Amino acid sequence: MPGGVSSRLISDWASALKIPPVEPGTVGPCPVAPDALQGIVRQQTNAARWNGAGWREFVAELGAAGVALAEGAAATGIYATDAGGTAYGLPHGVLVARSAAQVAALLMAAQAHRVPVTVRGGGLTTEGESVAYGGVLLDMTGMGRVLAIDAEAMTVRTEAGIYWHDLAEELRRAGLDYLSAPLNMTSSVGGTLGVGGIDVNSARLGCSADQAISLQVVTPTGEIVECSDSENADLFQRVILGYGQFGVITEATLKIRPYTPLSMHYYYYSTLREAIEDLQMLDANDASDYSGILTIMDCAVNLLVAFDSSEREAAFKATWEKRLRGHGEFGFALCVAGHYAMRPWKLGEALYLLKRKQAVFPEFRRAEFHRDGRMEDRTVVFSRAVWKHWGSRNMVIPDLATSADKFIEAVERGNAVCRKFFPHYTLYCVGIKLRAEHKPHYEMSCVPPDAAGWAYGCEFEPMIEDAVYSRDHFQSFKNAIYDIGVDLGASYYRFGGMMKGYIRRVFGDALVDRHLAMKRRADPAMILNRDVIF
Amino acid sequence: MYSSAHPRAYSACSGCSLCRLVCPMWRARRDPCYSPEGIAKARQSGAALAELAPALEACTLCGACDPVCPEDIALSAMIMALRRELPPHPELVALQVGYRQAAESAAADPAGALLLPGAAMRADPALHEKVTALLGIRAAQDDGADIAVALEIGGQIAPQRLRRFLDGLDGRGLVVGDGLLLAALRRWLPAARLQGLGEALGNLNAIRRRIASADFYVIEARAYHADHERLVAHYDALRKESGCAMNLDLQRIAMPPHASAYPGLRIGSAREDLAQARWLLQGRNPARIVVENAAEREVFRRVADVPVLHLAELAASNEEIHHA
Repeated sequence: MPGGVSSRLISDWASALKIPPVEPGTVGPCPVAPDALQGIVRQQTNAARWNGAGWREFVAELGAAGVALAEGAAATGIYATDAGGTAYGLPHGVLVARSAAQVAALLMAAQAHRVPVTVRGGGLTTEGESVAYGGVLLDMTGMGRVLAIDAEAMTVRTEAGIYWHDLAEELRRAGLDYLSAPLNMTSSVGGTLGVGGIDVNSARLGCSADQAISLQVVTPTGEIVECSDSENADLFQRVILGYGQFGVITEATLKIRPYTPLSMHYYYYSTLREAIEDLQMLDANDASDYSGILTIMDCAVNLLVAFDSSEREAAFKATWEKRLRGHGEFGFALCVAGHYAMRPWKLGEALYLLKRKQAVFPEFRRAEFHRDGRMEDRTVVFSRAVWKHWGSRNMVIPDLATSADKFIEAVERGNAVCRKFFPHYTLYCVGIKLRAEHKPHYEMSCVPPDAAGWAYGCEFEPMIEDAVYSRDHFQSFKNAIYDIGVDLGASYYRFGGMMKGYIRRVFGDALVDRHLAMKRRADPAMILNRDVIF
Repeated sequence: MYSSAHPRAYSACSGCSLCRLVCPMWRARRDPCYSPEGIAKARQSGAALAELAPALEACTLCGACDPVCPEDIALSAMIMALRRELPPHPELVALQVGYRQAAESAAADPAGALLLPGAAMRADPALHEKVTALLGIRAAQDDGADIAVALEIGGQIAPQRLRRFLDGLDGRGLVVGDGLLLAALRRWLPAARLQGLGEALGNLNAIRRRIASADFYVIEARAYHADHERLVAHYDALRKESGCAMNLDLQRIAMPPHASAYPGLRIGSAREDLAQARWLLQGRNPARIVVENAAEREVFRRVADVPVLHLAELAASNEEIHHA
């Protein structure tokens, strides 16, 4: 919808088309609000369903090659949506991946028959990137074996459909651990390497994609290729952080490290700015092994700091802790009590804080996940808490990724947007150490082009709770956040799928067209993860 | 939410996949259709019962999915309910009928706490005798073995049969060997003092102090998951005290050594069970394997070359048993 159209005209237009108002508990007929995407040429963000032309012949050819696709509601229904729960689509058929050769056979046939193939790992996308609007859904979780652990070289070779949690399960038995992975147990390795992967140690160790040493990739035309920074480097650069456009990752060799439980400290702030300044101070000085910000409200901000070793913890306590402006739990509780005692009209806000604290804090302190005061499995603890206290049928998590110097402005402006759209929400902020030698990997990715040293990301997650919001409301909210990114020259973690309208705005036509040309060369029929980026 | 008193229906499944991570049925096949999430999502999509039958038939009913579901969906109850709609297996129905006929001739038990040993333990008289001696309680004449089978296979339980069984248990302390029956008894007799066999034996000093740091301790999954919130603390304490490894994953969910359906009823492929048991032992070198469920000894004996003992067998001497 072009800008400048008056609300009256929009109303007349909707009325003429007989678009009914969105009732609570229903989904409206239009995926994009009339007032959304201001300044952007209207485009289809919820991908059109593939028409199924030649499907039977395609299935028959694959069947003859020994690759059977599953069809029917029991096989396809599980893939109807992703973690976001706002994009819906069903594949014509499903293949649960078992080997690279099988994936290669699928992609070769898909090229020949021009059948779209949507690849899915943990399905934790929120913008429909892993939802198939017809065609084949390739479920990589069928390839979930750990192939080899090399405790001397400190590497692991694994099939890429494995969940990070399963990888941790096997590494832990050898006293080992991965470096960094999303704080969500059902993220898959392959899916994460394709988009980034942020942990609370990313400010020190970088994103998950940076720990990949080499990959086995099936190209969109069905070649099985090993790639790394020294072998088929162009393919490696495009597949890492490539949003699944240039190949299917079937195996990965990753760096690993000795396992250590961690000691966690929490500091509480009443302003975002101070918490972020302190976070960045810690990161810049390598003062902690883990750091991040998680808010209950924008006046109740939690800076978490954690350590792998007693030595690092002691050094932090001796040098850096006193420079933090946050309070301990008890001190902060006193501040909050004083604050609300002077503002009795904000009793509801105070009660929300208290209720949230009582619900969430024990989850982070469960005895079975701690030994001698140290947290044994951060991903289990955080993932359980996230699903239990933040998860719902809809998960809308727009984000902003900026250079360090723009981050406070980005978060404060995003916070103002959240306030406008939702009564309650959470912000999750973390730094990502960048590796200069990986600059080619970062092109057209979540890493903002002007970031050096560290990039910073903030997720803005509304608490949906039992409320019912239309998709229009969600989309307008996401657009308002993403408009900040355009203003600041930032990037986003989730710029595909329903948010791809922002790709050209934020990356510019020249870069996008260059990548599109590469995509067309690599994937002539444009079948692999169609409509996700291009 | 976790361990809420108000479980929700399959329609609440948001597809988080957390149940997959702990599901032996999924681990054996790596096909999401074979997972509680897959079944719930298929139902949301209108799949017919016939399409779901293979997964429903494959479920081990270990209950691992129940405590991890953030939406508090009663996933194993959903699967058990759907199983009741499937055509019965004649041989399993015959097994249930046989147990019921035996129960009909059972005499009433005198007052006091009772052990409901279950079919697997009754099949090993020496172990059965040792357990009753250790616990110092009488084994019930009617231990509800037919009801346990009915729960497992989705068979019918006549109301009058159930009433008679429960009437005989009301007001007693009970130690229950069959995890599925224990979970059902928690619903049917909410005021009863119920314990699983593993917990009851593990609380005995004669047993507890013999659990060694080199042991691999195998928690009976069904009993554990049916009362997870409480038992996770019990086993955490046992683990800290003994230093032993357990069949707990990183989420503190008990991974059973069976991945095929109807464990203990001797039906289903053993291939998945052996793979599951090997996976449990992968990367571990225990000196001994200690199981709570007698039916699980066999699978470990086939994949491990270390002694595999029932928990009760740790208290070796009669003197110890006498003083337990």
